[in-house]
Amino acid sequence: MPSVGRGFAIAVIAAIAGFLVVPLLIVSAPVEPVMGVVQKIFYFHVPCAIMMFLSTFVAAAGSLSYLFKGAERGDRLAHAAGELGVLFGACVLVSGPLWGRKAWGVWWQWDARLTSSLLLFLILNGYLLARRYGGPAGKKLAAALSLFAAVDVPLVYKSVDIWRTVHPQTTVVPSLDPAMRPAFWASFGLIALVWGILLTLRLRLEDARATVEELQLTVDDLAQE
Amino acid sequence: MIASKNDRNNDRNDTTMNRASRLRSILARSLRAVPALAALASLLGAGAARAQEYVKVENVPREQLPAPQFVGAAYGFIMIAILVYVFSVARRLARTRGEIAELRARVERAAGSGDRR
Repeated sequence: MPSVGRGFAIAVIAAIAGFLVVPLLIVSAPVEPVMGVVQKIFYFHVPCAIMMFLSTFVAAAGSLSYLFKGAERGDRLAHAAGELGVLFGACVLVSGPLWGRKAWGVWWQWDARLTSSLLLFLILNGYLLARRYGGPAGKKLAAALSLFAAVDVPLVYKSVDIWRTVHPQTTVVPSLDPAMRPAFWASFGLIALVWGILLTLRLRLEDARATVEELQLTVDDLAQE
Repeated sequence: MIASKNDRNNDRNDTTMNRASRLRSILARSLRAVPALAALASLLGAGAARAQEYVKVENVPREQLPAPQFVGAAYGFIMIAILVYVFSVARRLARTRGEIAELRARVERAAGSGDRR
């Protein structure tokens, strides 16, 4: 296992405690009168969607610094965040249809919010595929793709306000019943903490890979001498 | 000659009469079919109208989807996805650190042999 700092260890312990406490808060939160118990998927569906957006923005910021300043660290950050975008995107695209099947009677609707979310998920997957199989130009191609993904985020967020969709609007979280807020914000805090832990872990992996590349070059140089 | 001309005229008259009677019979049949077609059309129309109505039906089993199972499946998927990802990153990190240790050892060996030379 990787060596860990004190702050990182505390964060991991807090996350484990959170996974035990947050479900209890979600269970004790009041039941929504229209959708019933299935509305409780909201407490982790929405935080996962926010983390997908955040991952996309971080990936785009890292890609920008790589494209315009040549910062390798920015590229590594983008790679780590891009992978987390796919992870949380998968969580959104699985929990959403489970909610929709019970609430709307269908697993999927090709409405603006769902379609643009799927598009964002596919672009993030495209980012990872371009990095892996794009050859020598793969990094730059992927960086450009992550910028397109970032442009899609405001479209995903505002789609429910612009177009008529079956998905709840963006006013749901600000107008949340006070009795439902503790469960939502606790769940959001937990998912955000997990996101931070995973990003730190993933960045360590990217840094370690960069060290391997440097050492490989040194070994090659020494072999030529 | 005259007799044969008369015969031909009679034949022509018979043919014309046959055609007329056949036409009349077709028209009569068509007219008889009109009420039947109208009845069919009205039946179809009534069917379409019935499909637009919401009628209460008694004793029909309703589809029951257990909500807690959907919530549990969603939460379970997220937990499993995060756990699998953590193990995947930890495994990749351990492998990469192993590569680093091996490469460092090779660099040290190469540097040591260079010093001896």
